[in-house]
Amino acid sequence: MPLLEVRDLQVRFSTRGKTVYAVNGISFDLDPGDTLGIVGESGCGKSVSSLAMLGILPKPAGRVHGGQVVFDGEDLLTLPDERLRHIRGNDIAMVFQDPMTSLNPVLTVSRQLTEALRTHLDLGKKEAAAEAASLLDRVGIPDARQRLRDYPHQFSGGMRQRVGITMAIACRPKVLIADEPTTALDVTIQAQILELLRTLVREEGMALILVTHDLGVVAGICERTHVMYAGRFVETAPTGELFANPRHPYTVGLLKSVPRLDAARKQRLDPIGGAPRDQTSEPTACAFAPRCAYASTESWEQLPVLRELDGATGPAAHRVACWNPVPEQDLVAAGIRQAPTGRQTGDQPDEERQA
Amino acid sequence: MSIAEAEAAQLSVEQPSGLWSDAWRRVRRNPAAWVGAGLLLFFVICAVFAPLLAPYGPQETVGSLAAVPPGPTAEYPFGLDEQGRDVLSRVIYGARLSLLVGLVSVAIGLSLGLVLGAVSGYFGGRVDGVIMRFMDLMLSIPGFLLAIGLVTLLGRGLFQIMFAIGITTVPIFARLLRGSILAQREADYVLAARSVGTPGFRLLTVHILPNSIAPVIVQATLAMATAIIDVAGLSFLGLGPNDPSLPEWGKFLAENAARLQNSAHLVFFPGFAVVFSVLAFNLLGDALREAIDPKLRA
Repeated sequence: MPLLEVRDLQVRFSTRGKTVYAVNGISFDLDPGDTLGIVGESGCGKSVSSLAMLGILPKPAGRVHGGQVVFDGEDLLTLPDERLRHIRGNDIAMVFQDPMTSLNPVLTVSRQLTEALRTHLDLGKKEAAAEAASLLDRVGIPDARQRLRDYPHQFSGGMRQRVGITMAIACRPKVLIADEPTTALDVTIQAQILELLRTLVREEGMALILVTHDLGVVAGICERTHVMYAGRFVETAPTGELFANPRHPYTVGLLKSVPRLDAARKQRLDPIGGAPRDQTSEPTACAFAPRCAYASTESWEQLPVLRELDGATGPAAHRVACWNPVPEQDLVAAGIRQAPTGRQTGDQPDEERQA
Repeated sequence: MSIAEAEAAQLSVEQPSGLWSDAWRRVRRNPAAWVGAGLLLFFVICAVFAPLLAPYGPQETVGSLAAVPPGPTAEYPFGLDEQGRDVLSRVIYGARLSLLVGLVSVAIGLSLGLVLGAVSGYFGGRVDGVIMRFMDLMLSIPGFLLAIGLVTLLGRGLFQIMFAIGITTVPIFARLLRGSILAQREADYVLAARSVGTPGFRLLTVHILPNSIAPVIVQATLAMATAIIDVAGLSFLGLGPNDPSLPEWGKFLAENAARLQNSAHLVFFPGFAVVFSVLAFNLLGDALREAIDPKLRA
């Protein structure tokens, strides 16, 4: 049995008669030690999914409409608040996007770090402070003991994010959800924070769900990647396979809109035309159809579901929710994949791109 | 980790300062705050040490009954009243009452307002609707009129008066805190605290309230000024404390308004005291607002 099993999770927001269909049925499994990436553009429902899993959607507008989030044999969505509160921070924790706003400005770092420790582990003040200091040390903050007394504004952005991570891992959770943990940081700091996450996952055996819009981030850290569009997963595959052999037109569009070192010099970036889907109605057809060059009558009329490609199953499975997956020759034309007659066959994941 | 170390080294040179010490620094730089604080200190000293500072007791007769009481002299700097009592002493003792009224009535209004505002802002929904409509109802009645009504209803005891004035400030505090909490409720740090399992009550008291309270503190300072004016106003209308021995600035004004032509000192000095005590709170409140309100920060 997987550690965390998400089945057909649906989240909706309703305000004054208007309903936003934010997440429209996503499913995935997570085993201990797994690193899973969820990629998508702003508003595709990736952050909302993580908040829903923890039961901290903004109330009263946001609510889970259906599905299950089974952790350790219990469906988190039906647990009483009090029980769920004990799981939050203790078993499943979250790192937030903006370290400038996700720490309380009027409390010392110590107060915030010991919050989880004292809530869940029943530690005394001194023990909690000692533990907090060793945790800060662990995430690479020098003079940890001294800095416990400081306020968040006395830390730089990268250091604050380390504090944010410390807060999340304080009770050694089994699942860590990182929601755009590097988006608000400089590139050099991004690399440090990702390295830290990678180390923590490896050493603590935590499972990581990394939510991001940055393909480079998932490439560096995630074993498996789910591409999300309009509240649904449109493609899911092992990360290497996804980058080497993307089949959903949206995934291909994302890859084409990222600058590449190995592209011809004059090649222009090719953004995806159109705007993200207006989520105020429930999708009944392919949500990407209006922006898609491959859309057919079916795309406009029927909702595609995730289907396995090439018969691979289990952890290696590559699934696409598309009526007209991008043909191979188009991938070659877009420079995503080498021509089959080239130095290697296209089936091999492109190692350079994973690095 | 060398970059991290460099960052930390650079930062530790900076003087540690929190949100409040930052505000305190801004207040100190504001000359208006110094004037306000100085005036307030002066009134507080008058109130606390009234028996030492006042040359006579508030009820002590030092002159003779006179239809036209003598004005300021070297012996009686503020003159005497028609019963031969020293006006200076009465004004000094009056500071006790005015400050007490300001403090207690604001404390009453603040405590009720904070509870209602916090509940309203934090829980939202129907609770919020009911509380806020009730506050709107209270705000639709002019504050002073409401105070007059309440005093008429409850009687003219000192506590009843303070309570009446306090009640009129409740909707102001409640609305202010509610708005402030609404702005903080969905803040990322609140979400982060929830994500580690912080219980609801702690969330409100430890995380949300300290970040929402600043505008309420400013308002409380300004409300003290209003309370002092209100109690003077009630006294002027004959709705002041029914104990005739209590030296109340507003009552001096009311009793002596008719003597303004011949004995201006009877109105001038108590009026002066009201004006300056109100000014003290207003200057201080404005300085605090400038220091705390992010919209007024340069």
